[in-house]
Amino acid sequence: MVQEEDLELYRSQLLDSMSERPSRSVRGPSDPIQVYVNERRVGELKGAEIEATLHVHGVDHVETVQLRTEDGQLLGGLVAPESGFRTTRVQLSADTVELCVQNTVQGGSLSAVFIPAPSFWNRAWTILANVADRWMVRRPESTMAYGVRAVVFTQALLAVAVVGLAADRVMIWIAPEHTVTSTVRTEALRTASVAEIGQLSKQLGELRAMQTKVGEALQSQEKGMTLLHQTMARLSSTQESVASSVVMVKEEMEKRQEGSESEIDRSVQIPVGRGGVDQEQFETAIHGLAADNDRLSKQIAGLEEHNRTVTAKLQMAIAHVAKAVEQSPERVVAREIDMARKHQRSPVADNRQGTQAQPFLFWVTFSEGTTQESIDQWVNEMKGHKGAINEGWQEVQILPPPVPPDLFLEQIKGEKIIKEARLNH
Amino acid sequence: MQNTLRTSHIIADRTSTVSRLEEVVSTSDEFDQVVAQALPLLLDRAAGYTKRFLRETGQWNDDIEHEKFALRWGAEYLERFLVCGRTEVPCRPLFLFDSLVAKQHSKPEPFCYHPDLLKPLGRFLDGLVARAVVSRDALIALYHHSYGWGAGDVIAVTGLNGLESQRIYKNFRRWRESGWQRTIDEMGLTKTELAELENQRQRHRQRFNTEAERLIRVAQGHYRKSEPDHYPCLSRSQWGEMFSQGYGCDYRIWHLALCLDCMQAAWGLGSSESSVEKPRLELQVRP
Ligand SMILES: [Zn+2]
Ligand SMILES: [Zn+2]
Repeated sequence: MVQEEDLELYRSQLLDSMSERPSRSVRGPSDPIQVYVNERRVGELKGAEIEATLHVHGVDHVETVQLRTEDGQLLGGLVAPESGFRTTRVQLSADTVELCVQNTVQGGSLSAVFIPAPSFWNRAWTILANVADRWMVRRPESTMAYGVRAVVFTQALLAVAVVGLAADRVMIWIAPEHTVTSTVRTEALRTASVAEIGQLSKQLGELRAMQTKVGEALQSQEKGMTLLHQTMARLSSTQESVASSVVMVKEEMEKRQEGSESEIDRSVQIPVGRGGVDQEQFETAIHGLAADNDRLSKQIAGLEEHNRTVTAKLQMAIAHVAKAVEQSPERVVAREIDMARKHQRSPVADNRQGTQAQPFLFWVTFSEGTTQESIDQWVNEMKGHKGAINEGWQEVQILPPPVPPDLFLEQIKGEKIIKEARLNH
Repeated sequence: MQNTLRTSHIIADRTSTVSRLEEVVSTSDEFDQVVAQALPLLLDRAAGYTKRFLRETGQWNDDIEHEKFALRWGAEYLERFLVCGRTEVPCRPLFLFDSLVAKQHSKPEPFCYHPDLLKPLGRFLDGLVARAVVSRDALIALYHHSYGWGAGDVIAVTGLNGLESQRIYKNFRRWRESGWQRTIDEMGLTKTELAELENQRQRHRQRFNTEAERLIRVAQGHYRKSEPDHYPCLSRSQWGEMFSQGYGCDYRIWHLALCLDCMQAAWGLGSSESSVEKPRLELQVRP
């Protein structure tokens, strides 16, 4: 009987914990979110203030997706369809995680995007993306699916930087097309011509392609970021500075983001943090922003200038990193040795030029009746000196001619005053 | 008489709950509402299916341990159903639930079954390692329960950097505050059973740890399958490379917690502990 009571106690304990489940959220504001596919852990989303993405590819078939806190609480998830795709949004207080699973005959994939409680730049970006979406079919999976059997965590530093780059890019693209450049104005976007928006969407497409490329570069590594880290670690100090420049760019982006956010918070009262701000609300906010245009435009102009430098730096950094990834460390070392050799070689080359700078000697005979005077004049014109005379041959010293000796002698022979010319007596 | 009346009342109640669960619900909110009222029924249903599965696979015995085991997994399925089911609307919740449980049971090894894992020590270890799969707090706590280490030891042994270290302290704190108790509740370990485990640990330390090591290997082997599939066991030199290059942080944390052999293989590769003897299982019951 004790046993039966024990069992009944256990059952009611389980039921209690089940019904109090939703109120037991223990996720701190910056705690990561663990992602599981088919009850197997595939990675985590850094649940901080920045948007983070986790892509999982090469699963035979996605059956379930689950999100959990560090303490194991199930936050949300979905059951994948047999084939095709399904999306769902999991609301975690003010933050959101968007899940998109897809099952095809080739296999399954998941994309999980952590969207923090909206900040200004996120909202601006959402509006831009929405406008662009009207002109192009947006299907993240089709542009991001590389179809390789590997698990890729694009959440890495680079990817974060690229997302930042996306926002930067859009700012820069819009600028040249409007005279009142430096503002994110929804009105401007709404009234923008079809051609302009078409161009914007094309550029967004290019950006996606670029993102894909970066993704592919990472993917080409067997262990993705792991290997990149490894490579980074092995590389010389030059490469280390690349890494630090990526970090620096990221920091600058964050700084800039913070700066602009606080500025806007002061000027326009944007309702933040009340569990999801809807489209209408932040459109209103952006209207207010347009009204405060003059004051802001100055600041944003500055920011944009900054964007450009940051973007340039980032592109350089990405290029460097891509190079670093391509090169095995041994090759980097080999290249450095090569460089060193070149440095050593250049003095050698100088020496050779030195030998060439020594006088060029050749022998000539003159046509009959040529006066000594015209001979001297000829030698003078060549900035040369007369040397020895031997059996009617006159030795001449000149500075090395710009053409090869043979050709030079042929040219000499063509002159009226010269009868014969040769290198040696 | 009274009893019969009550029973028939319960049966009538159940019948109406079941028919509600068989109807189509069209929104997530409606799903939550309908399901919240049917938790006891759904738990018993899932436990019943699990019992049947165990019976059919020759893993059943008529005792409280097996009943608890069936209940525990029933609760696990129910939790997943509560969270995932609401994205499946419109649906008939009861059918969805049945299919979800059936899917679980159609997997090659739906759970870690071993008769010895049903006894208190086994239940403790199985519950602990199972929890480590879904909870990082529990995973980190596994280092403490297996070897008696604190946060600092874990950081040193796995060779973590500053940022990751902060997280380890958090993991430890949450585990002590609530994680351990919840896990114990989920295992269905009573206070008496816990006290008895503690008693054995103190009085027959060696026998206790030898038995614990045997059982934890069974559990680790099963639950390691839930790690990312690119986290296999490595040789000492491979671990060494990972430690010295400073990559695979996640790999180290997850695999070493769940693999006694690799823990011994990678021993001394982190910082400073190289002089000490290889770690041996020193099972801790309390957090
Ligand atoms: Zn993807
Ligand atoms: Zn191992």
